[in-house]
Amino acid sequence: MYLLEGIRLALQQVWAHKLKSAFTLIGVIIGIMFLIAVITIVEGMNRYVQEDFAGSLFGVNTFSVVRRSNIETGEESSERRRRQARNPYLTMHDVETVRRAVPDAWRFAYSDDRYFPRVSFEDRSRRNVRIVGGSEDYETLQGWEVEQGRGLSPLDERRGLPVAVIGQEIAQKLFPDETPLGKRIRLGPRRFEVVGVWEKQGGLLGNIRDASILIPFSVYRQSFSRNPNRVGSISVKMRTAEEMDVAMSEVEAALRTDRQLRPGEENNFWLETSSELLDVWDRITKILFAAIPGLVSISLIVGGIVIMNIMLLSVAGRIREIGIRKAVGARRRDILIQFLAESSTLSLVGAAIGVLLGVGLGKGVQAFTPLPASVPPWAIGVALVLGLGVGVASGIYPAYRAAKQDPIVALRYE
Amino acid sequence: MRQINEIIIETRGLKKQYVMGAETIHALAGVDMKVRRNEYIAIMGPSGSGKSTLMNLIGCLDTPSSGEYILNGTPVQDLADDELARIRNREIGFVFQTFNLLPRATALHNVELPLIYAGIPSKERHAKAMAALERVDLGDRTHHKPNELSGGQRQRVAIARALVNDPSILLADEPTGNLDSKTSAEIMAVFKELHDAGQTIIMVTHEHDISDHAERVVTLRDGLIESHDARADGVYAGA
Repeated sequence: MYLLEGIRLALQQVWAHKLKSAFTLIGVIIGIMFLIAVITIVEGMNRYVQEDFAGSLFGVNTFSVVRRSNIETGEESSERRRRQARNPYLTMHDVETVRRAVPDAWRFAYSDDRYFPRVSFEDRSRRNVRIVGGSEDYETLQGWEVEQGRGLSPLDERRGLPVAVIGQEIAQKLFPDETPLGKRIRLGPRRFEVVGVWEKQGGLLGNIRDASILIPFSVYRQSFSRNPNRVGSISVKMRTAEEMDVAMSEVEAALRTDRQLRPGEENNFWLETSSELLDVWDRITKILFAAIPGLVSISLIVGGIVIMNIMLLSVAGRIREIGIRKAVGARRRDILIQFLAESSTLSLVGAAIGVLLGVGLGKGVQAFTPLPASVPPWAIGVALVLGLGVGVASGIYPAYRAAKQDPIVALRYE
Repeated sequence: MRQINEIIIETRGLKKQYVMGAETIHALAGVDMKVRRNEYIAIMGPSGSGKSTLMNLIGCLDTPSSGEYILNGTPVQDLADDELARIRNREIGFVFQTFNLLPRATALHNVELPLIYAGIPSKERHAKAMAALERVDLGDRTHHKPNELSGGQRQRVAIARALVNDPSILLADEPTGNLDSKTSAEIMAVFKELHDAGQTIIMVTHEHDISDHAERVVTLRDGLIESHDARADGVYAGA
């Protein structure tokens, strides 16, 4: 009964003093909003990384042989990174070794890439582009799709034709209102005919393709490579995950034999898969989730203290009301419950506003970035329980002060 | 059937002391008094005579330092706070000089308050509160807040609240102290009606023309009963 009374009174109070309530609840609102927003964004990133990013960067059931790990997990010792730095560069000889090790590969490709300061067409140019020299099948293996024109063909590679497929950003910059197809772009002293434009990749972490120019590997080797025999990475795509595991161990064994590594000696090359990237992401997520409680609890504690103070003020201003209630039969616990209900309702209202704002923030992130906002229901549950907890915790002392009022004194209180 | 001479309040050697610093103040120095059902009593006395203390004890807002107090057959002198709250809820209806209504609540809600603490379901609560308001002629003011009512109307809301739980006694502390004489007369008329309908009334006042409405006047001085002055027939005076 008085529980409902407390809730009704609290809602009345919040409504009657909207501005004061907003200030009272700001700590709780911000804390909960932050909680929901971070969870929303992390969950969205999670989905993005798992569904789009890893797949587009590596492709499914694909692994690559590289000289050393590109992904810093932060757990590797600097010692290990130094050792990896001594690994020999991959060469065309390694390409043949890997090719022989996985004769049943679905797709097989190798590539190298580097950053180039400028690409230009007539008087327009774009700085900092990535030039990728890709073998036959490279684009298929990567899952890259052309939007206009065509991709590279085996003929381009064999004849060493100066042709290029360019990313969206470059196309927009160099050809704002004409078709890029058939135009000759300039990379340093060399000219390339644009034969195709990639689909826009977009993405927060993976827009590498949009600023990339793909040319035949043979052309890259002659014109851009520091060492014509050098290969950046060798990629193998299998049909299933099981096949991939088998192929990976075969490639590892073949390379070790070829490089005459003794048993127990560490690989002087690195095998990279998308699952490895996902592991790193998992770790980042865990760190983020571990940091949330600290940040959120600080604002909730501050919010709780504010609510407690407001409740103490409220009790002080309603001594006579407490006296009246006691005179007509309210017991200590009735008064206690009334004020606890009030502080809890107050805090819950704050938590609810925080949830709405947090979801709004998440949706905003979704609107302005490619991240899908995803609000897990459990997060809303956690937020409301936290709000209730803060309300009860911050209400206990004021409610106790209210409940122990002497009715005689309280009735005479001016 | 209620016994006509049923004793509803009996105190024996009721004492109350307050310790103030090094001094002990004897607010009540041993009060013996009996009140029968359907009596209409005025308690009078100069300030400092102990009438407020006696009123607090009778109203179960406080417990005596020593002595006995039997209310409606139950000794209440040693009860704990929460038990006293229950007794107040069921046995006593308070009417105060300053009305003591909840300022932000409607007249109806104010009258419902004792029923809320009695745990009565909302439908029944509503009906009872409406009936009590109609009894004091405020059936058309149920959704007004105290600041939308005149002083006399406020006091009638307070009376409705005091009556709504059907208490053994109506305890009024200077009920006309904040009202003009015309409104005071109205309130006294309401009290008379209630008394005629069988309500036991105890009223603390220092105004003689108000105490004149009572059947019996108990005068306190220095924490003791100085005199019982019975005005009506058939009313027992003294202990």
